[in-house]
Amino acid sequence: MRPYTPKDNVQKKSYYTDRYWVAPQVAKFDVSTDEVFAADLKVIKGKFKVLDAYIQVEQMVVYIRPEDNFGVLKLMRDSLEYTQLSEMSAIDWLADKGQFEIFYQLLSMNKRKRIRIKCFIEENQAIESVEKIFRSADWAEREMYDMFGVKVNNHPFMKRILMPYDWEGYPLRKTYPMQGDEFASWYEVDKIFGKEARDVIGPEIRDAAAVDRYDTKRFARLGHEVAYGEDISEGEPDTVQTYQEEGGVFLVGKLTKEESVVITDRDR
Amino acid sequence: MQHKNRLRPFFENITFEREDNELILNFGPQHPSSHGQLRLMLHLQQEQIVKAHPDVGYLHRGMEKMAENMIYNEFLPTTDRMDYIASSSNNYGFALAVEKLIGLEVPRRAKVIRMMLLEVNRLMSHLFWLATTALDVGAMTVFLYGFREREYLMDLLEDYCGARLTHSAIRIGGVPLDLPDNFIADLKKFLDKLPANIKDYEDLLDTNRIWQMRMEDVGVISKEMALSWGCTGPMLRASGVKWDIRKEEPYELYDEVEFDIPWSDKGDNYARYKLYMAEMRESAKILYQVLDMYKDTSPELMAHAPKYISAPKIDIMTQNYSLMQHFVLVTQGMRPPVGEVYVPTAPSFWHTGVLTDLLPGHYIPDVVSIIGTTNIVFGEVDR
Amino acid sequence: MAQHQVNYTQNGGLPVALTSIDKLVNWGRSNSLWALTYGLACCGIEMMASGASRYDFDRFGTIFRASPRQADIMIVAGTLTKKHAEFIRRLYDQMTEPKWVISMGSCANTGGMFNTYATVQGVDRIVPVDIYLPGCAPRPETLQYAVMMLQKKIRAEKADKSQKPKRLM
Repeated sequence: MRPYTPKDNVQKKSYYTDRYWVAPQVAKFDVSTDEVFAADLKVIKGKFKVLDAYIQVEQMVVYIRPEDNFGVLKLMRDSLEYTQLSEMSAIDWLADKGQFEIFYQLLSMNKRKRIRIKCFIEENQAIESVEKIFRSADWAEREMYDMFGVKVNNHPFMKRILMPYDWEGYPLRKTYPMQGDEFASWYEVDKIFGKEARDVIGPEIRDAAAVDRYDTKRFARLGHEVAYGEDISEGEPDTVQTYQEEGGVFLVGKLTKEESVVITDRDR
Repeated sequence: MQHKNRLRPFFENITFEREDNELILNFGPQHPSSHGQLRLMLHLQQEQIVKAHPDVGYLHRGMEKMAENMIYNEFLPTTDRMDYIASSSNNYGFALAVEKLIGLEVPRRAKVIRMMLLEVNRLMSHLFWLATTALDVGAMTVFLYGFREREYLMDLLEDYCGARLTHSAIRIGGVPLDLPDNFIADLKKFLDKLPANIKDYEDLLDTNRIWQMRMEDVGVISKEMALSWGCTGPMLRASGVKWDIRKEEPYELYDEVEFDIPWSDKGDNYARYKLYMAEMRESAKILYQVLDMYKDTSPELMAHAPKYISAPKIDIMTQNYSLMQHFVLVTQGMRPPVGEVYVPTAPSFWHTGVLTDLLPGHYIPDVVSIIGTTNIVFGEVDR
Repeated sequence: MAQHQVNYTQNGGLPVALTSIDKLVNWGRSNSLWALTYGLACCGIEMMASGASRYDFDRFGTIFRASPRQADIMIVAGTLTKKHAEFIRRLYDQMTEPKWVISMGSCANTGGMFNTYATVQGVDRIVPVDIYLPGCAPRPETLQYAVMMLQKKIRAEKADKSQKPKRLM
């Protein structure tokens, strides 16, 4: 994995350093190009304010006001046959706009269409739960709260779902470091052994390639087995590795290569 | 040095016995039949469950956060570890999303190979499901039989890509390798045997009294519940919704092959079991057709899109510009156009959520068979 | 009333072996390593495969047990997350002495590819590990080899002494 760099302002500053890079956009089409979507949009527009709507990769995206989310989704299910909520979550735009984008991905099996309902909320603004309309939102909203810290009103059980209940921080926010903060890095040690064991166990080794050749406390090597904590800066003895000791083992038969049968055909 | 560990009982905030005679039973997270790391807190009236509270997240490894910090091709091997029972399917889901974003057309041979891999993975996954569920319900023989067949499929995939479990066999823009020499013959040999094998399992289970008692009319998911919870696949089809994404929104070459969608309106464990068995037969049917398609395809394996996909190796070795482009693609990664795409994946999260509504009213022994037939994989639930 | 006609000890009915207690005890320990089913993620599937028909772990005397109280080795197969960490320690504490731990797969060894906030960077932060098993996921053959190595390690141990406190704790 490439070295991690903090991405607090990733939305403001381009990830690519190329100054002349203009990112191309996936084509957006007008809703009128698809009759089914156009009819759906008309129904939504009749009752609620629609901020923006377009078709992208064969799916309609509709932006609504955050306070309308319950009403729109109820309309979608009851009148427009969008019977399934396939996915819902948030997108962190805090660095850029100070807002979260909430999306609801809906599927209509009769029309074979997928629609994405979106809205923007402020950082500390709560959103109304749609769990009464789609049960799947029960868990999706908990996950959204767990990962982004977006609070949901009128949810039956608003607790963390993926992270432990006593976790600090919201992992999928852009400001949360990928390898965890101070709390995360000592979480299991603090919980199991207590803070006083931090010195004994030591900090996490985050560099997967870090191997200290002379560290006999942490690393063992096949063929060079030494006792725990022994000083091997002068070199270590070779220990020949056979899975059985020479001369056989008490009460255990030893198979030699000549005696054993090697099966080549795997007999499919 | 002997350090005292400070673990105290975890449930100090839960009253185990309450005045209303409700007992709280903790199931998991390391229960052998919880298919991974599912923890269930069950409120019991005698042996009957009145309230179920599934707790997930014991395998949350932060894949989304990893993906944020990677280029597109780097993330592909991580998708293997989501649904680790059928990992090519996850590779495919991710690759398809990126391809849709770019608007890439994949060569026909790659499509054929992808379909083979997907269906072989489906068979592997279903066999594994059958083996473990049967083991949980107590049918040890089926476990051994199921794994026997699964090993042959794993051998096939090992011949193809070198890995048994985590394949990374589907890349963005195509597949990395052509089929090895004996692949088609070996797969045919396996497929010829498969119906007899499936019949073996069915003979062992279908009319087995214990199996029927633990499966029939247990874990009935109504149509409304299945839709509301966003269930997909056999979970949905067993509840009377005839929706198969391969037919309704066909991808790859699924619109060119003939197959049936098995479905049922019973919604119980037994219906789901029968669906899985029927799906294995359909899979075999699809595979026969796809194997025939292979001959008539031209040998290209990766899409031609120099902006996003590295050129073939021969071009990289001989042409300067291809080499430069390859360097850029490896070090900086491809830069697809900015936009959003949705590809349906990862159903297990919702299938675990269903347990909240499904378990109340059932008895403790039913829990295991219900978890079994939901076929949840925790790499995918928790990501 | 029937009487036993054969004097087993004299007529060659029962094998008599002279050995040390160490060897006898270690013979018993090393050839009946009952493993705790600790499948956490992908490696757990390979662990199941090694217990199933083709690789057949039973011939090593390794039988998977669901209860820590009946188990001798804990095969930590898969990614250990921070949320799960306390349970692995709890189950390890519940196992009876002597006990050994095999850390199976890169995730269990070092955190592997999951270098993130949610993953414990190596189970050796939580429980002492005897054998580290590389691979992602290791094949069943690798696990079998690890069990053989562990058997060899056990045979070299002294039986009369209680287990030395291992690394970490």
